[in-house]
Amino acid sequence: MLTLGLFVVISFVVSLAALAALIWAISSDQFSFSQRQARIIFEPDEEGQLDDPTISPRNGRSTHGNIEPTKFDLLRSSIDASTARPVSVLIGSAVLWLVIGSAFGLIASLKLHLPDWLDTQAWLTFGRVRTLHLTLVIYGWLSMAGIGIAMWVTPRIFQAPLQSPTLAIWGTIFWNIGLVAGVIAIACGWSDGEEWLEIPWQIDGLLAIGGALCAVPLIRTAFTRNVEHIYVSGWYYLAALCWFPALFVIANIPGIFVGAEQATVNWWFAHNVLGLWLTPLGLGAAYYFIPKIIGKPVYSYALSLLGFWALALFYSQVGIHHLIGGPVPTWVVTLSIVQSVMMFVPVIAVAINQHVVVARNMWAFRASIPLRFISLGAIMYTAASFEGSLEALRSVNTVTHFTQFTVGHAHLGAYGFTSFVFFGCLYYMLPRITGRDWPLPSLIAAHFWLVVGGFSIYFVALTIGGWLQGEAMLDATRPFSASVILLKPFLEGRSVGGALMTLGHLLFAANVIAMFARGRHPASAEGSVA
Amino acid sequence: MSDDRRPVDERFEPYEPRRRVPLPVYWIAIALAIWGTLTLWRDAHAGFIAGRQRGDEAAADTRRAAAPGADLFLARCSSCHQPDGSGIAGAVPPLAGSPLVKADPSVVVRILLRGIDGPITVAGQHFDGHMPSFASVLDDDQLARIATYVRARFGDNASAVSPSDVAAARAWAAGHPGPWRGGDEIRAALMPLLEPQPAYVASLIAAPDPSILALVQHGTGGGWSCASCHGDLGEGHGDAPRIAGLSSPYLLAQLRAFAGGARTSDAMAPVATSLADAQKIALASYYSQLATPSASVPALQGALDRGEALALDGDSAKGIPACFSCHGSSGFGVAPAFPPIAAQQPAYTAGRLAGFARQAKQGSHALMPSVAARLDDADRRAIADYLATLPPVPTGTAPPAEQH
Repeated sequence: MLTLGLFVVISFVVSLAALAALIWAISSDQFSFSQRQARIIFEPDEEGQLDDPTISPRNGRSTHGNIEPTKFDLLRSSIDASTARPVSVLIGSAVLWLVIGSAFGLIASLKLHLPDWLDTQAWLTFGRVRTLHLTLVIYGWLSMAGIGIAMWVTPRIFQAPLQSPTLAIWGTIFWNIGLVAGVIAIACGWSDGEEWLEIPWQIDGLLAIGGALCAVPLIRTAFTRNVEHIYVSGWYYLAALCWFPALFVIANIPGIFVGAEQATVNWWFAHNVLGLWLTPLGLGAAYYFIPKIIGKPVYSYALSLLGFWALALFYSQVGIHHLIGGPVPTWVVTLSIVQSVMMFVPVIAVAINQHVVVARNMWAFRASIPLRFISLGAIMYTAASFEGSLEALRSVNTVTHFTQFTVGHAHLGAYGFTSFVFFGCLYYMLPRITGRDWPLPSLIAAHFWLVVGGFSIYFVALTIGGWLQGEAMLDATRPFSASVILLKPFLEGRSVGGALMTLGHLLFAANVIAMFARGRHPASAEGSVA
Repeated sequence: MSDDRRPVDERFEPYEPRRRVPLPVYWIAIALAIWGTLTLWRDAHAGFIAGRQRGDEAAADTRRAAAPGADLFLARCSSCHQPDGSGIAGAVPPLAGSPLVKADPSVVVRILLRGIDGPITVAGQHFDGHMPSFASVLDDDQLARIATYVRARFGDNASAVSPSDVAAARAWAAGHPGPWRGGDEIRAALMPLLEPQPAYVASLIAAPDPSILALVQHGTGGGWSCASCHGDLGEGHGDAPRIAGLSSPYLLAQLRAFAGGARTSDAMAPVATSLADAQKIALASYYSQLATPSASVPALQGALDRGEALALDGDSAKGIPACFSCHGSSGFGVAPAFPPIAAQQPAYTAGRLAGFARQAKQGSHALMPSVAARLDDADRRAIADYLATLPPVPTGTAPPAEQH
């Protein structure tokens, strides 16, 4: 008992001490670097211009005329040329998996209120379709889009061309092979049987190799960087590259963890995939593109520090709140609950840093659809994190556990936050990568409104329905079937929302395909020689 | 193609200005840190206290269990005579202070071997129950250990009973089949100095029909057997209620209600439908005569003191009458309308109360639905767990209304 109590104290107190030290260091200016260093990468009169390549002179919304290229533009061109090919391959794969993954999600959603539909083939049964959806959107769409965006942004903030881009292409190929093999295995009924870890561990090696091959070029680029100060996006990206391999490999080692231990490791991994992989990928992107598009900096370096380090200190143990009431030691669960609630600290820091700059420049929010995507995504990060901290409390978890409420919450994070941010980033990046305008610009707004409308229906339906479901399940005077029956209209609403979202993804994919089909602009390809 | 435009006009790269962290962020961080520390401390403290309690209980259990025969006493005797040997007033005679326990060792051994069926007076209190015979289920050594333990603990007599004493008594019992016919026979045969005992009246209990036993164990072609859910002796398990010792008219009414749909149960409806009415009557009669020890234990984390208060006194503030005001003292039931509720499986009791509450929500104004509607979940669990701690109704003592 003393040992366990001691462990609780040490684990939490170390985090608190680190947080206190961080706050002291920030307030007493220990992280001092000159403002000139921070601003080294732009010229004095460059601030305050909307930068949105989806607005072209063709539709008459251009906010700036032709400007002579500066030496910074030439440097950017050579950096962008080095990343163009690997990033294109990553994004192309990601968009393909987004479309397929959404289709499986829609099928799974429909099956919940049309249970007799598509029930003759084993691989089309709910258990597999739902798992295929999760695997495809997490490891296909979100991971590859996130890596692609990181690979495009990181060389820019390091002001150095991407090193060994061919490795990254091989990494993408390995990752895709691993994903396809894993998806086929799951469809055939072969899986590790743990949520988020369904891909058989025998296949996971391919994903690990692919991820490593993508990480090496970025780490090498970090070593050759031409700036002294690393911008906050770089912290998140480099940290995610360290965290994810550790999580993925440890959780997949076969035969070490059994029973309740295995469940503990399972949820430690599953939640950390969100917090220590998708979250840094999404936040890194938001931190770069929000100020980039608006042309104004984020609020404060001190808040960047607080947000990043508090995430690093508190996130790693929050996953066990999924096992509240489960057969694991109470102190493990309580520690996880406390750490989950402590996540308010980094989330508030990030929220102030990102939302203030948008709130002060609402003209840009109205003018730029990429910014709308990214900024809405950042707002939903704040919302999903607050909701997650509250859901970890035992009193709330009693109602929401084992209900559709949790599903709504998961989509607020993985879709509302990361997918929205990534959509906006890709709308910004692809014109830069190909040197061409979006071929079907009217579809961009249609995509935006379809996914905003669809996701609103989706989230509201599951949140209300899930809560009512939880209340019904807790009420012993109502039969279990009551909790199922009351849910049906909400599940149908979810399918409507999901269909709108999937339709939006198809428009997005059509735009991306049309763009890639035209190839890179000759003038842009020329830049790679320079 | 002419409107393609090379995007070279980026004017800005993001950076972070040096601004202070807004003060409220610090306040929130500090408040959360304090909350987290308190939560962990409270949890660790509660865990520490619970651990110490568990340790103390385990040590006490170990001390008691270390005595020879203690495990057997707990398993075989304590559910009726209670772990402290105090018995149940009006139902089960006490062991503590009983002259039978203090007497010659052969008395305890012979009662264990034959059991008792009939009225008996112990320490001035009158009982009319049924004690099973342990001759077939325990061997000489086990019976010797139980007798030694009971006499040492409740009779203040440290002399050990040996297996050979039991063997001798067993040889004697072979010539005296059947249970002791109440205190009267014990007094006449073993203890002439025992206080005056009530006269024995022949029991009405009949030997069960073999076809009924087959039905109990194997069921009809169309349904489960009784024993597969309710246990070999009708003791119940989980959601399946204890049915041993419930009155025959009550059991019969339930079987007919399940068959007719007046009482809904996915498990019982097919079983009851497949039974002929004669089989229903025979089964109801069989189970009403079974004197099975309780197999129910509290399992729902109910507050036992709250359950006891509701059972004995009700809760006038919430309009809840005492359970025992209708179901009889000690929850032994008032035949035929009010079934025994003592020693019922807690999951069944709680589920049944929730079911009644559901009927109330659906507009029923019957007695149990209107009572159950006033119970919340914690009360249901408290009552169910408390009732599970009680001894079962002794068969043969039901009011005459049941005897038909």
